[in-house]
Amino acid sequence: MEKPSPLGFGLGLRPFYYQDILAKNPRVDWFEVISENFMVPGGRPLAMLERIRSAYPVVMHGVSMSIASTAPLDFDYLRALKSLAGRFQPEWISDHLCWTGVHGVNLHDLLPVPYTFEALDHIVDRIRRVQDFLGRRLAIENVSSYVTFAESEMDEWTFIREMAERADCWLLLDVNNVFVSSFNHSFDQASFIDAIPDDRVVQLHLAGHTEAVTHKIDTHDQPICEEVWSLYHEVCPRFGSISTMIERDDNFPPFDELMAELDRARAIAACTRTPAHEAAA
Amino acid sequence: MKLAELQTRFQAGIVKGDDTILAAIADSRRTDRATLFAVYHDAYRLRLAEFLSTDFPVLRAHLGEEAFGLLVEDYIESAPSRQPNARWYGTRLPDFMQKTAPWRRNRSAIDLARFERALSDAFDAPDAPIGTIDALRNICAEDWPRLAFEFHPSLRLLDLQSGTAQIYAALAEDEEASVIQQGEEAIVFWRNDGQSFYRPLEEDERLALMEAQQSKCFADICALLAFQRNDAGVTQRVAGFLSQWFADGLITRLSLSD
Repeated sequence: MEKPSPLGFGLGLRPFYYQDILAKNPRVDWFEVISENFMVPGGRPLAMLERIRSAYPVVMHGVSMSIASTAPLDFDYLRALKSLAGRFQPEWISDHLCWTGVHGVNLHDLLPVPYTFEALDHIVDRIRRVQDFLGRRLAIENVSSYVTFAESEMDEWTFIREMAERADCWLLLDVNNVFVSSFNHSFDQASFIDAIPDDRVVQLHLAGHTEAVTHKIDTHDQPICEEVWSLYHEVCPRFGSISTMIERDDNFPPFDELMAELDRARAIAACTRTPAHEAAA
Repeated sequence: MKLAELQTRFQAGIVKGDDTILAAIADSRRTDRATLFAVYHDAYRLRLAEFLSTDFPVLRAHLGEEAFGLLVEDYIESAPSRQPNARWYGTRLPDFMQKTAPWRRNRSAIDLARFERALSDAFDAPDAPIGTIDALRNICAEDWPRLAFEFHPSLRLLDLQSGTAQIYAALAEDEEASVIQQGEEAIVFWRNDGQSFYRPLEEDERLALMEAQQSKCFADICALLAFQRNDAGVTQRVAGFLSQWFADGLITRLSLSD
Protein backbone atom coordinates (compact mmCIF):
# COMPACT_ATOMS: atom_id res chain seq x y z
CA MET A 1 0.00 0.00 0.00
CA GLU A 2 1.94 2.96 -1.28
CA LYS A 3 0.68 6.39 -0.33
CA PRO A 4 0.56 9.14 -2.96
CA SER A 5 3.66 11.34 -2.86
CA PRO A 6 3.35 14.38 -0.58
CA LEU A 7 2.29 17.49 -2.45
CA GLY A 8 3.66 20.04 0.00
CA PHE A 9 1.59 22.96 1.30
CA GLY A 10 -1.68 23.96 -0.35
CA LEU A 11 -4.72 26.19 -0.11
CA GLY A 12 -8.40 25.79 -0.83
CA LEU A 13 -9.21 27.18 -4.28
CA ARG A 14 -12.02 29.72 -3.77
CA PRO A 15 -13.44 32.21 -6.32
CA PHE A 16 -12.55 35.11 -4.00
CA TYR A 17 -8.86 34.41 -4.70
CA TYR A 18 -8.95 33.58 -8.43
CA GLN A 19 -7.49 36.91 -9.48
CA ASP A 20 -4.74 36.80 -6.82
CA ILE A 21 -3.75 33.33 -7.95
CA LEU A 22 -3.75 34.14 -11.65
CA ALA A 23 -1.95 37.46 -11.17
CA LYS A 24 0.63 36.40 -8.57
CA ASN A 25 1.31 32.78 -9.49
CA PRO A 26 1.81 32.30 -5.73
CA ARG A 27 4.20 29.91 -4.02
CA VAL A 28 1.44 27.41 -3.23
CA ASP A 29 2.35 23.79 -3.93
CA TRP A 30 -1.18 22.63 -4.74
CA PHE A 31 -4.85 23.52 -4.46
CA GLU A 32 -7.79 21.67 -3.01
CA VAL A 33 -11.07 22.27 -4.86
CA ILE A 34 -14.60 21.68 -3.59
CA SER A 35 -15.78 19.06 -6.09
CA GLU A 36 -19.43 20.18 -6.13
CA ASN A 37 -18.50 23.76 -7.08
CA PHE A 38 -17.25 22.42 -10.40
CA MET A 39 -20.09 19.97 -11.07
CA VAL A 40 -21.72 22.50 -13.37
CA PRO A 41 -22.31 22.27 -17.12
CA GLY A 42 -19.76 24.94 -18.09
CA GLY A 43 -18.72 28.56 -17.69
CA ARG A 44 -16.18 30.44 -15.62
CA PRO A 45 -15.71 27.97 -12.72
CA LEU A 46 -14.53 25.22 -15.06
CA ALA A 47 -12.50 27.63 -17.20
CA MET A 48 -10.71 28.92 -14.07
CA LEU A 49 -10.01 25.40 -12.87
CA GLU A 50 -8.56 24.55 -16.30
CA ARG A 51 -6.15 27.48 -16.01
CA ILE A 52 -5.13 26.80 -12.43
CA ARG A 53 -4.85 23.05 -12.99
CA SER A 54 -2.41 23.70 -15.83
CA ALA A 55 -0.03 25.26 -13.29
CA TYR A 56 -0.72 23.39 -10.02
CA PRO A 57 -1.63 19.89 -8.82
CA VAL A 58 -5.16 19.67 -7.42
CA VAL A 59 -7.04 17.46 -5.00
CA MET A 60 -10.83 17.13 -5.17
CA HIS A 61 -12.64 17.51 -1.84
CA GLY A 62 -16.36 16.78 -1.73
CA VAL A 63 -19.11 17.71 0.71
CA SER A 64 -22.10 15.76 -0.64
CA MET A 65 -21.08 12.13 -1.08
CA SER A 66 -23.01 11.36 2.12
CA ILE A 67 -21.00 8.21 2.66
CA ALA A 68 -22.65 7.49 6.02
CA SER A 69 -26.23 8.01 4.87
CA THR A 70 -28.72 5.18 4.88
CA ALA A 71 -30.16 6.58 1.63
CA PRO A 72 -29.02 4.70 -1.48
CA LEU A 73 -25.71 5.82 -2.98
CA ASP A 74 -26.33 8.61 -5.49
CA PHE A 75 -24.81 7.25 -8.68
CA ASP A 76 -25.73 10.37 -10.67
CA TYR A 77 -23.53 12.28 -8.23
CA LEU A 78 -20.78 9.66 -8.42
CA ARG A 79 -20.85 9.67 -12.23
CA ALA A 80 -20.46 13.47 -12.22
CA LEU A 81 -17.62 13.16 -9.70
CA LYS A 82 -15.87 10.53 -11.79
CA SER A 83 -16.26 12.61 -14.92
CA LEU A 84 -14.81 15.69 -13.18
CA ALA A 85 -11.89 13.62 -11.92
CA GLY A 86 -11.32 12.28 -15.43
CA ARG A 87 -11.10 15.82 -16.74
CA PHE A 88 -8.92 17.38 -14.02
CA GLN A 89 -6.86 14.39 -12.86
CA PRO A 90 -6.75 15.15 -9.11
CA GLU A 91 -4.04 13.55 -7.00
CA TRP A 92 -6.84 12.05 -4.90
CA ILE A 93 -10.51 12.49 -4.03
CA SER A 94 -11.71 13.08 -0.50
CA ASP A 95 -15.00 13.49 1.35
CA HIS A 96 -16.19 13.39 4.95
CA LEU A 97 -17.13 10.77 7.49
CA CYS A 98 -20.67 12.06 7.67
CA TRP A 99 -24.09 12.00 6.07
CA THR A 100 -25.87 14.95 4.44
CA GLY A 101 -29.48 13.80 4.31
CA VAL A 102 -31.98 10.98 3.80
CA HIS A 103 -35.27 10.60 1.90
CA GLY A 104 -34.03 12.65 -1.05
CA VAL A 105 -33.17 15.74 1.00
CA ASN A 106 -29.74 17.37 1.17
CA LEU A 107 -29.20 19.36 4.36
CA HIS A 108 -25.87 20.75 3.11
CA ASP A 109 -24.16 19.93 6.39
CA LEU A 110 -21.66 17.36 7.59
CA LEU A 111 -23.90 15.44 9.97
CA PRO A 112 -22.52 13.24 12.75
CA VAL A 113 -22.42 9.46 12.86
CA PRO A 114 -23.10 7.22 15.87
CA TYR A 115 -19.98 5.16 16.46
CA THR A 116 -21.76 1.80 16.41
CA PHE A 117 -20.84 -1.51 14.81
CA GLU A 118 -23.90 -1.21 12.57
CA ALA A 119 -22.75 2.20 11.28
CA LEU A 120 -19.21 0.89 10.82
CA ASP A 121 -20.37 -2.05 8.69
CA HIS A 122 -22.63 0.22 6.67
CA ILE A 123 -19.96 2.85 5.99
CA VAL A 124 -17.22 0.35 5.19
CA ASP A 125 -19.50 -1.29 2.62
CA ARG A 126 -20.33 2.05 1.01
CA ILE A 127 -16.73 3.25 0.86
CA ARG A 128 -15.77 -0.01 -0.84
CA ARG A 129 -18.58 0.34 -3.37
CA VAL A 130 -17.67 3.96 -4.13
CA GLN A 131 -13.98 3.07 -4.46
CA ASP A 132 -14.88 0.27 -6.86
CA PHE A 133 -17.00 2.65 -8.91
CA LEU A 134 -14.39 5.42 -9.00
CA GLY A 135 -11.53 2.98 -9.52
CA ARG A 136 -9.42 4.61 -6.81
CA ARG A 137 -9.09 4.90 -3.04
CA LEU A 138 -11.01 7.68 -1.31
CA ALA A 139 -9.58 9.80 1.49
CA ILE A 140 -12.12 10.16 4.30
CA GLU A 141 -11.97 13.14 6.67
CA ASN A 142 -12.90 13.32 10.36
CA VAL A 143 -15.52 16.06 10.87
CA SER A 144 -16.19 18.51 13.68
CA SER A 145 -19.23 17.41 15.62
CA TYR A 146 -21.45 19.08 18.19
CA VAL A 147 -23.39 16.11 19.55
CA THR A 148 -22.57 12.57 20.61
CA PHE A 149 -25.01 9.69 20.51
CA ALA A 150 -25.90 7.77 23.65
CA GLU A 151 -25.69 4.49 21.79
CA SER A 152 -22.15 4.87 20.41
CA GLU A 153 -20.18 1.71 21.07
CA MET A 154 -16.64 2.98 20.51
CA ASP A 155 -14.55 6.16 20.35
CA GLU A 156 -14.43 8.22 17.18
CA TRP A 157 -10.76 7.35 16.68
CA THR A 158 -11.38 3.62 17.07
CA PHE A 159 -14.19 3.90 14.56
CA ILE A 160 -11.99 5.77 12.07
CA ARG A 161 -9.10 3.34 12.43
CA GLU A 162 -11.39 0.33 11.92
CA MET A 163 -13.11 2.02 8.99
CA ALA A 164 -9.82 2.81 7.24
CA GLU A 165 -8.45 -0.70 7.66
CA ARG A 166 -11.60 -2.53 6.64
CA ALA A 167 -12.52 -0.24 3.74
CA ASP A 168 -8.88 0.07 2.66
CA CYS A 169 -9.25 3.80 2.22
CA TRP A 170 -7.00 6.79 2.85
CA LEU A 171 -7.61 9.27 5.65
CA LEU A 172 -7.64 13.05 5.63
CA LEU A 173 -6.85 14.22 9.16
CA ASP A 174 -8.41 17.60 9.93
CA VAL A 175 -6.41 19.00 12.83
CA ASN A 176 -8.92 21.76 13.55
CA ASN A 177 -11.76 19.22 13.64
CA VAL A 178 -9.86 17.14 16.20
CA PHE A 179 -9.43 20.26 18.31
CA VAL A 180 -13.08 21.38 17.95
CA SER A 181 -14.54 17.94 18.67
CA SER A 182 -12.14 17.31 21.57
CA PHE A 183 -13.38 20.51 23.19
CA ASN A 184 -17.05 19.81 22.45
CA HIS A 185 -16.88 16.23 23.70
CA SER A 186 -14.11 16.59 26.29
CA PHE A 187 -11.80 13.94 24.90
CA ASP A 188 -8.02 13.83 24.87
CA GLN A 189 -6.60 15.01 21.55
CA ALA A 190 -3.55 12.76 21.94
CA SER A 191 -5.77 9.68 22.19
CA PHE A 192 -7.30 10.61 18.85
CA ILE A 193 -4.04 11.41 17.09
CA ASP A 194 -2.18 8.38 18.46
CA ALA A 195 -4.91 6.00 17.28
CA ILE A 196 -4.93 7.21 13.69
CA PRO A 197 -2.88 4.84 11.49
CA ASP A 198 -0.17 7.02 9.95
CA ASP A 199 0.16 4.77 6.91
CA ARG A 200 -3.40 5.71 5.94
CA VAL A 201 -3.18 9.50 6.28
CA VAL A 202 -2.49 11.27 2.98
CA GLN A 203 -3.41 14.81 3.94
CA LEU A 204 -3.83 17.26 6.82
CA HIS A 205 -6.34 20.11 7.03
CA LEU A 206 -5.80 23.27 9.04
CA ALA A 207 -8.58 25.83 9.57
CA GLY A 208 -10.12 28.34 11.94
CA HIS A 209 -13.35 28.01 13.89
CA THR A 210 -15.85 30.04 15.95
CA GLU A 211 -16.11 30.06 19.74
CA ALA A 212 -19.59 29.74 21.29
CA VAL A 213 -18.61 29.59 25.02
CA THR A 214 -19.93 26.07 25.69
CA HIS A 215 -18.84 24.69 22.35
CA LYS A 216 -16.81 25.49 19.24
CA ILE A 217 -18.14 25.52 15.66
CA ASP A 218 -16.16 24.60 12.56
CA THR A 219 -16.75 27.67 10.40
CA HIS A 220 -13.51 28.17 8.42
CA ASP A 221 -14.03 31.93 8.73
CA GLN A 222 -11.25 32.78 11.20
CA PRO A 223 -7.46 32.54 11.27
CA ILE A 224 -6.04 29.29 12.63
CA CYS A 225 -5.96 29.70 16.42
CA GLU A 226 -2.87 29.13 18.60
CA GLU A 227 -4.25 25.91 20.09
CA VAL A 228 -4.65 24.41 16.60
CA TRP A 229 -1.12 25.52 15.66
CA SER A 230 0.09 23.77 18.84
CA LEU A 231 -1.78 20.62 17.96
CA TYR A 232 -0.34 20.76 14.43
CA HIS A 233 3.12 21.03 16.02
CA GLU A 234 2.38 17.84 17.97
CA VAL A 235 0.88 16.07 14.95
CA CYS A 236 3.70 16.80 12.49
CA PRO A 237 6.35 14.42 13.88
CA ARG A 238 3.80 11.61 13.69
CA PHE A 239 3.16 11.97 9.95
CA GLY A 240 6.44 13.38 8.64
CA SER A 241 6.31 14.85 5.17
CA ILE A 242 2.60 15.06 4.41
CA SER A 243 0.36 17.13 2.14
CA THR A 244 -1.04 19.94 4.26
CA MET A 245 -3.52 22.66 3.38
CA ILE A 246 -5.47 25.56 4.88
CA GLU A 247 -9.23 25.84 4.44
CA ARG A 248 -10.77 29.31 4.40
CA ASP A 249 -14.40 29.57 3.32
CA ASP A 250 -15.70 32.90 4.60
CA ASN A 251 -14.62 36.28 6.01
CA PHE A 252 -11.81 36.11 3.47
CA PRO A 253 -8.60 37.95 4.43
CA PRO A 254 -6.16 39.41 1.89
CA PHE A 255 -4.42 36.59 0.04
CA ASP A 256 -1.08 37.49 1.64
CA GLU A 257 -2.51 36.67 5.09
CA LEU A 258 -3.32 33.15 3.94
CA MET A 259 0.16 32.87 2.46
CA ALA A 260 1.60 33.92 5.84
CA GLU A 261 -0.40 31.14 7.54
CA LEU A 262 0.86 28.70 4.93
CA ASP A 263 4.45 29.79 5.61
CA ARG A 264 3.87 29.22 9.31
CA ALA A 265 2.69 25.67 8.54
CA ARG A 266 5.80 25.12 6.42
CA ALA A 267 8.03 26.37 9.25
CA ILE A 268 6.38 24.14 11.87
CA ALA A 269 6.63 21.10 9.60
CA ALA A 270 10.29 21.87 8.86
CA CYS A 271 11.30 22.28 12.49
CA THR A 272 9.58 19.05 13.54
CA ARG A 273 11.16 16.88 10.86
CA THR A 274 13.42 14.18 12.21
CA PRO A 275 16.27 12.28 10.52
CA ALA A 276 13.86 9.36 10.09
CA HIS A 277 11.51 11.63 8.13
CA GLU A 278 14.38 12.82 5.98
CA ALA A 279 15.34 9.23 5.22
CA ALA A 280 11.72 8.32 4.39
CA ALA A 281 11.37 11.36 2.12
CA MET B 1 -32.12 2.50 17.43
CA LYS B 2 -31.22 1.50 13.89
CA LEU B 3 -29.02 3.93 11.93
CA ALA B 4 -31.79 4.60 9.38
CA GLU B 5 -34.25 5.57 12.09
CA LEU B 6 -31.69 7.74 13.86
CA GLN B 7 -30.98 9.63 10.64
CA THR B 8 -34.68 10.07 9.89
CA ARG B 9 -35.24 11.52 13.37
CA PHE B 10 -32.13 13.68 13.18
CA GLN B 11 -33.29 15.13 9.86
CA ALA B 12 -36.82 15.70 11.21
CA GLY B 13 -35.25 17.57 14.12
CA ILE B 14 -33.40 19.87 11.73
CA VAL B 15 -36.10 20.40 9.11
CA LYS B 16 -39.29 20.24 11.21
CA GLY B 17 -38.03 21.00 14.71
CA ASP B 18 -39.18 17.56 15.90
CA ASP B 19 -37.34 16.96 19.21
CA THR B 20 -37.63 13.16 19.46
CA ILE B 21 -33.99 12.88 18.33
CA LEU B 22 -32.89 14.50 21.60
CA ALA B 23 -33.50 11.21 23.44
CA ALA B 24 -30.65 9.67 21.42
CA ILE B 25 -28.18 12.51 22.10
CA ALA B 26 -26.01 12.99 25.16
CA ASP B 27 -25.46 16.24 27.07
CA SER B 28 -21.89 17.52 27.00
CA ARG B 29 -19.94 18.47 30.12
CA ARG B 30 -20.61 22.15 29.42
CA THR B 31 -24.14 22.29 28.05
CA ASP B 32 -27.31 20.40 27.30
CA ARG B 33 -28.18 18.36 24.22
CA ALA B 34 -30.85 20.81 22.99
CA THR B 35 -28.28 23.60 22.80
CA LEU B 36 -25.87 21.37 20.93
CA PHE B 37 -28.48 20.03 18.51
CA ALA B 38 -29.52 23.63 17.78
CA VAL B 39 -26.13 24.13 16.10
CA TYR B 40 -27.34 21.83 13.29
CA HIS B 41 -30.90 23.18 13.30
CA ASP B 42 -29.78 26.80 13.01
CA ALA B 43 -26.92 26.14 10.58
CA TYR B 44 -29.36 24.52 8.15
CA ARG B 45 -31.47 27.67 7.90
CA LEU B 46 -28.50 30.03 7.88
CA ARG B 47 -26.81 28.07 5.12
CA LEU B 48 -29.86 27.90 2.84
CA ALA B 49 -30.57 31.60 3.48
CA GLU B 50 -26.98 32.37 2.50
CA PHE B 51 -27.37 30.43 -0.77
CA LEU B 52 -30.47 32.48 -1.61
CA SER B 53 -28.86 35.79 -0.62
CA THR B 54 -25.91 34.98 -2.85
CA ASP B 55 -28.10 34.09 -5.84
CA PHE B 56 -30.69 36.88 -5.42
CA PRO B 57 -28.87 39.98 -4.09
CA VAL B 58 -30.96 42.43 -6.12
CA LEU B 59 -34.26 40.80 -5.15
CA ARG B 60 -33.08 41.16 -1.55
CA ALA B 61 -32.36 44.86 -2.06
CA HIS B 62 -35.74 45.31 -3.79
CA LEU B 63 -37.79 43.63 -1.06
CA GLY B 64 -35.77 44.90 1.90
CA GLU B 65 -34.30 42.78 4.68
CA GLU B 66 -37.55 42.02 6.49
CA ALA B 67 -39.60 40.92 3.46
CA PHE B 68 -36.69 39.01 1.92
CA GLY B 69 -36.20 37.26 5.27
CA LEU B 70 -39.88 36.20 5.25
CA LEU B 71 -39.57 34.97 1.66
CA VAL B 72 -36.48 32.95 2.57
CA GLU B 73 -38.27 31.42 5.58
CA ASP B 74 -41.30 30.50 3.45
CA TYR B 75 -39.12 28.96 0.74
CA ILE B 76 -36.94 26.97 3.14
CA GLU B 77 -40.09 25.71 4.87
CA SER B 78 -41.68 24.54 1.63
CA ALA B 79 -38.64 23.53 -0.43
CA PRO B 80 -35.87 21.53 1.21
CA SER B 81 -32.81 21.14 -0.99
CA ARG B 82 -32.73 17.99 -3.08
CA GLN B 83 -29.48 18.70 -4.89
CA PRO B 84 -25.91 17.80 -3.94
CA ASN B 85 -24.78 21.16 -5.29
CA ALA B 86 -26.00 24.21 -3.35
CA ARG B 87 -25.79 26.15 -6.62
CA TRP B 88 -29.20 24.80 -7.63
CA TYR B 89 -31.06 25.43 -4.37
CA GLY B 90 -32.60 28.73 -5.51
CA THR B 91 -33.61 27.45 -8.93
CA ARG B 92 -37.22 26.97 -7.91
CA LEU B 93 -37.58 30.30 -6.09
CA PRO B 94 -39.25 32.23 -8.97
CA ASP B 95 -41.77 29.40 -9.51
CA PHE B 96 -42.41 29.25 -5.77
CA MET B 97 -43.11 32.99 -5.71
CA GLN B 98 -45.50 32.70 -8.65
CA LYS B 99 -47.54 30.03 -6.88
CA THR B 100 -47.46 31.18 -3.26
CA ALA B 101 -49.26 33.98 -1.40
CA PRO B 102 -48.39 36.73 -0.70
CA TRP B 103 -45.50 36.63 -3.18
CA ARG B 104 -47.65 35.75 -6.20
CA ARG B 105 -49.17 39.24 -6.10
CA ASN B 106 -45.76 40.92 -6.37
CA ARG B 107 -45.04 40.77 -10.10
CA SER B 108 -42.01 43.07 -9.96
CA ALA B 109 -40.36 40.88 -7.31
CA ILE B 110 -41.14 37.68 -9.21
CA ASP B 111 -39.65 39.11 -12.37
CA LEU B 112 -36.52 40.29 -10.57
CA ALA B 113 -36.15 36.73 -9.24
CA ARG B 114 -36.55 35.37 -12.79
CA PHE B 115 -34.03 37.96 -14.01
CA GLU B 116 -31.39 36.96 -11.44
CA ARG B 117 -32.00 33.28 -12.02
CA ALA B 118 -31.50 33.74 -15.77
CA LEU B 119 -28.16 35.46 -15.08
CA SER B 120 -27.11 32.56 -12.82
CA ASP B 121 -28.25 29.96 -15.35
CA ALA B 122 -26.32 31.70 -18.13
CA PHE B 123 -23.22 31.87 -15.91
CA ASP B 124 -22.61 28.13 -15.77
CA ALA B 125 -24.58 26.86 -18.77
CA PRO B 126 -22.71 24.41 -21.05
CA ASP B 127 -19.76 25.74 -23.05
CA ALA B 128 -19.76 26.06 -26.83
CA PRO B 129 -17.37 27.79 -29.24
CA ILE B 130 -18.68 31.17 -30.34
CA GLY B 131 -18.95 31.90 -34.05
CA THR B 132 -17.68 35.08 -35.70
CA ILE B 133 -19.30 37.18 -38.36
CA ASP B 134 -16.52 36.07 -40.71
CA ALA B 135 -18.47 32.81 -41.12
CA LEU B 136 -20.97 34.78 -43.24
CA ARG B 137 -18.26 35.43 -45.86
CA ASN B 138 -18.40 31.77 -46.87
CA ILE B 139 -22.14 31.96 -47.55
CA CYS B 140 -22.88 32.83 -51.18
CA ALA B 141 -25.77 35.17 -51.97
CA GLU B 142 -28.15 32.49 -53.24
CA ASP B 143 -27.74 30.50 -50.00
CA TRP B 144 -28.66 33.37 -47.67
CA PRO B 145 -32.40 32.59 -47.65
CA ARG B 146 -31.62 29.05 -46.36
CA LEU B 147 -29.28 30.28 -43.64
CA ALA B 148 -30.10 28.86 -40.18
CA PHE B 149 -28.46 29.51 -36.82
CA GLU B 150 -27.37 27.64 -33.71
CA PHE B 151 -27.16 29.57 -30.48
CA HIS B 152 -24.97 29.43 -27.41
CA PRO B 153 -26.44 27.13 -24.72
CA SER B 154 -26.38 30.02 -22.24
CA LEU B 155 -28.98 32.02 -24.21
CA ARG B 156 -32.20 32.74 -22.27
CA LEU B 157 -35.05 34.90 -23.53
CA LEU B 158 -37.57 36.15 -20.97
CA ASP B 159 -40.68 38.30 -21.20
CA LEU B 160 -40.77 40.41 -18.05
CA GLN B 161 -42.73 43.32 -16.67
CA SER B 162 -41.40 46.48 -18.31
CA GLY B 163 -38.73 48.25 -16.26
CA THR B 164 -37.37 45.06 -14.67
CA ALA B 165 -33.95 45.48 -16.29
CA GLN B 166 -33.87 49.14 -15.24
CA ILE B 167 -34.72 48.25 -11.65
CA TYR B 168 -32.09 45.51 -11.68
CA ALA B 169 -29.42 47.86 -13.04
CA ALA B 170 -30.20 50.56 -10.48
CA LEU B 171 -30.34 48.26 -7.44
CA ALA B 172 -27.19 46.41 -8.52
CA GLU B 173 -25.43 49.78 -8.28
CA ASP B 174 -27.07 50.62 -4.91
CA GLU B 175 -29.15 53.33 -6.54
CA GLU B 176 -32.83 54.21 -6.21
CA ALA B 177 -35.02 52.73 -8.93
CA SER B 178 -38.08 54.85 -9.70
CA VAL B 179 -39.68 53.08 -12.64
CA ILE B 180 -43.31 52.99 -13.70
CA GLN B 181 -43.94 49.39 -14.72
CA GLN B 182 -46.50 49.09 -17.48
CA GLY B 183 -46.59 46.42 -20.17
CA GLU B 184 -43.82 43.96 -20.88
CA GLU B 185 -40.23 43.93 -22.03
CA ALA B 186 -38.18 41.15 -23.60
CA ILE B 187 -34.69 40.56 -22.21
CA VAL B 188 -32.05 38.28 -23.67
CA PHE B 189 -29.44 36.76 -21.33
CA TRP B 190 -26.23 35.02 -22.34
CA ARG B 191 -22.63 34.40 -21.34
CA ASN B 192 -19.54 35.53 -23.16
CA ASP B 193 -15.97 35.04 -21.93
CA GLY B 194 -17.15 33.80 -18.54
CA GLN B 195 -19.47 36.73 -17.81
CA SER B 196 -23.27 36.88 -17.92
CA PHE B 197 -24.81 39.67 -19.99
CA TYR B 198 -28.30 40.93 -20.71
CA ARG B 199 -29.95 43.49 -22.95
CA PRO B 200 -33.52 44.44 -23.80
CA LEU B 201 -34.91 43.54 -27.23
CA GLU B 202 -37.31 45.50 -29.41
CA GLU B 203 -40.34 43.50 -30.51
CA ASP B 204 -38.93 42.80 -34.01
CA GLU B 205 -35.66 41.44 -32.68
CA ARG B 206 -37.47 39.37 -30.07
CA LEU B 207 -39.60 37.80 -32.76
CA ALA B 208 -36.61 37.20 -35.04
CA LEU B 209 -34.60 35.62 -32.23
CA MET B 210 -37.49 33.35 -31.19
CA GLU B 211 -37.92 32.17 -34.76
CA ALA B 212 -34.18 31.68 -35.25
CA GLN B 213 -34.00 29.64 -32.03
CA GLN B 214 -36.63 27.35 -33.52
CA SER B 215 -34.34 26.69 -36.51
CA LYS B 216 -36.31 28.94 -38.88
CA CYS B 217 -34.13 30.09 -41.79
CA PHE B 218 -33.26 33.64 -42.74
CA ALA B 219 -35.96 33.82 -45.45
CA ASP B 220 -38.69 32.55 -43.08
CA ILE B 221 -37.69 35.07 -40.42
CA CYS B 222 -37.75 37.91 -42.94
CA ALA B 223 -41.11 36.74 -44.32
CA LEU B 224 -42.67 36.62 -40.85
CA LEU B 225 -41.43 40.08 -39.94
CA ALA B 226 -42.54 41.49 -43.29
CA PHE B 227 -46.00 39.98 -42.75
CA GLN B 228 -46.23 41.37 -39.23
CA ARG B 229 -44.93 44.83 -40.07
CA ASN B 230 -45.92 45.19 -43.72
CA ASP B 231 -42.43 46.59 -44.14
CA ALA B 232 -40.21 46.37 -47.23
CA GLY B 233 -36.90 47.06 -45.40
CA VAL B 234 -37.12 43.95 -43.26
CA THR B 235 -34.18 42.07 -44.83
CA GLN B 236 -31.73 44.76 -43.83
CA ARG B 237 -33.16 44.86 -40.30
CA VAL B 238 -32.81 41.08 -39.85
CA ALA B 239 -29.26 41.28 -41.24
CA GLY B 240 -28.62 43.96 -38.60
CA PHE B 241 -29.94 41.66 -35.85
CA LEU B 242 -27.66 38.94 -37.15
CA SER B 243 -24.68 41.23 -36.97
CA GLN B 244 -25.53 42.13 -33.36
CA TRP B 245 -26.00 38.46 -32.40
CA PHE B 246 -22.51 37.71 -33.69
CA ALA B 247 -21.10 40.72 -31.84
CA ASP B 248 -22.77 39.59 -28.60
CA GLY B 249 -21.46 36.05 -28.97
CA LEU B 250 -24.92 34.49 -29.23
CA ILE B 251 -24.35 32.46 -32.40
CA THR B 252 -22.22 29.34 -32.34
CA ARG B 253 -22.79 27.90 -35.81
CA LEU B 254 -24.38 28.56 -39.20
CA SER B 255 -25.99 25.92 -41.38
CA LEU B 256 -28.10 25.75 -44.52
CA SER B 257 -31.63 24.42 -44.11
CA ASP B 258 -33.06 21.92 -46.60
